[in-house]
Amino acid sequence: MTAFFTALLNSLDIGLLLFVIAVGLNIVFGVLNVINFAHGALYMIGAYLGFSLIAMLGWPFWAALIVAPLGVAALAVVLDRLVLRFIYGREITDSLLLTFALLLVLNESVRMIWGSGIHVVEPPALLAGTLELPGGVLYPVYNLFVIGVGLTMLAGLWALFNRSRVGRIMRAASLDPDMAKALGINTRLVVTGAFAFGAWLAAVGGVVAAPMRAIDPGMGDKIIIESFIVVVIGGLGSFPGALIGALVLGAIHAFGGRYFPEVNMVLPFIGMALVLLVKPNGLMGKGAA
Amino acid sequence: MASTAIRRMAVAALAAAGIVGSMAAQAAEDPIKLGAVYIRSGSASSYGAFAEQGMKLAIEQINDNGGVLGRQLEYEIEDSQGNSGTAIQAMRKLVYQENVDALMGIDSSGVAQGVASTVPQLQTPLIITHAATPDVTGKMCNDYVYRLSVNIVQNMRGAAEIAADSGAKRWTTIGPDYAFGRQSWDFFGQALKEKNPDAELMSETAFPRFGAEEFTPFINSIMDADPDGVLISLWGGDLVNFVRQASDLGFFDQDMEIMFTVGAATEVLDALGEQMPEGVWLGTRYWFDAYDNPTNRDFVAAYKERYDKAPSYNAEGAYAAVYAYKAAMEKAGTTDGPKVAEALSGMSFDSPMGEITFRAGDHQTLVGPTWGKAGPMDDEFGIRSLTDVHVFDGKDVTPAVEETGCSL
Repeated sequence: MTAFFTALLNSLDIGLLLFVIAVGLNIVFGVLNVINFAHGALYMIGAYLGFSLIAMLGWPFWAALIVAPLGVAALAVVLDRLVLRFIYGREITDSLLLTFALLLVLNESVRMIWGSGIHVVEPPALLAGTLELPGGVLYPVYNLFVIGVGLTMLAGLWALFNRSRVGRIMRAASLDPDMAKALGINTRLVVTGAFAFGAWLAAVGGVVAAPMRAIDPGMGDKIIIESFIVVVIGGLGSFPGALIGALVLGAIHAFGGRYFPEVNMVLPFIGMALVLLVKPNGLMGKGAA
Repeated sequence: MASTAIRRMAVAALAAAGIVGSMAAQAAEDPIKLGAVYIRSGSASSYGAFAEQGMKLAIEQINDNGGVLGRQLEYEIEDSQGNSGTAIQAMRKLVYQENVDALMGIDSSGVAQGVASTVPQLQTPLIITHAATPDVTGKMCNDYVYRLSVNIVQNMRGAAEIAADSGAKRWTTIGPDYAFGRQSWDFFGQALKEKNPDAELMSETAFPRFGAEEFTPFINSIMDADPDGVLISLWGGDLVNFVRQASDLGFFDQDMEIMFTVGAATEVLDALGEQMPEGVWLGTRYWFDAYDNPTNRDFVAAYKERYDKAPSYNAEGAYAAVYAYKAAMEKAGTTDGPKVAEALSGMSFDSPMGEITFRAGDHQTLVGPTWGKAGPMDDEFGIRSLTDVHVFDGKDVTPAVEETGCSL
């Protein structure tokens, strides 16, 4: 029973971190109609900026958690103005090619700036160590914090899209950009803002991941594959889809690693294949199945 | 007018003669080119970076001392991306476009298995300096492929000796889900059973995919199985992730023998610092502090002076490979690929691990691993030191040629 409970918690911390990252991918797709291959690189830059602020400049973790994602969002605005705006109206394959190029440039830049070494960041003292939960389950405090961050972001995003004017404008701009423009909405600002917001989410994921994952030049590539699996399972462009896809993948990793440690490698892909067979557009995807 | 034209033509002719003349002079002094293929992107790119440092240091030293056959050395390096298809393309590019005289490198067992059979087509020798699968000097061996570094069988025979001495009975493993992780466990099991027939190889093993990031489920699964000893063949960023997540779960507080097959890679020790727990067994193909010979002392001192770091096994492998090619080219008296490949066979040369020999029967060097326990921090380099160090002799841990499956 404790084994099951630990795996359940584990699937939540893996899943909710993936949600924070993958929902950014979905927002960017929804508003810009761009599948951002470089999303994982933005996550990585978030982690590296966090590392620089915490381990090199001695900032507290919390300050880095605020500042590093804002830095990445600012970088995203620059990327959008310099590169992405030229392909807004184009085919989706064009955006895949362009953002793949962007990924290569960003990956190599990270290696040039920070080197190819592996780095680690310590969790803040408050979140270090292990907590004994009722039932004798020992669980790292930091992983519980990750669950907390994931739930907070979930609530915040839900409120943003359903209760706030900004969120409604974003949804309007994604549903019918021409009508939104006719109603006097500055869609250009909305589009750039959505891209920066997606990057901000990726970078929050990066800083949150930093104290429990190795920071190395390959971390972005690993997470983009995971995020794509989330999106395939959940449905492209869907907010609840990102949540469900991320939780399903988290559960596959946690329970698969726990109970099938010999064959775990194929499980995410089996899961993905099953979903595609039953619902080709993902569990929450739009359009006919 | 006419005289100006003639004058110009004369100048042009002179210039052309000068260019041709200098080209002729260059041909004799054309540098010898070494082509290297290492992982230079992604999680394990620090391994490629260390290798390039070792290679560069050897080339600078050789060039300062008159080069090879009176010619200077230079190198081209390409990224394998940890992928055998990419590595094959890189090797073709190096040989056909960059005209390199010899090849070296290859970090992953999977990549080594992929490239080994294409090397003979290139008519250029390849010295593998890192990848450890026994197959490339076993059933896939050929005239052009050599390996300088310790292979899995050699390392696991050393590991099994330590495991047998430890008294731990029930053993399991956590390793990456490809050739390296699977073969490490297979050869460890075989060697351990020979040394201690009572040892039990558990069926509860864990093979997370390479680059898994999240190891908590696997760690929990192994802790549930309650083994006496765990062989861990994770490497690079995976190993860093594993150690941090395992510490959080109290994995190292249990009464278990823990053996990291390539844990004493300075790439990893650098990253982890004090987070590498004391008392675990760390294996490596080469440990900078374990060889008391002048070549090693000079290498470590020069490396430290140049890069302010302790050389990793990958740095040493690349460094030694350059010297191996120097010796082979001087022995052959040429840089011609087939002749250099032939010269390497059975050749002995001086390396930081002492004098080592490429065995003629399978092209594997007779080298052994170093194992030691993670000790107090080494203040000079900011990494864990090794205590209780065992340097295994290559002759004791290398299977006979007949056992390797290689016939040359």
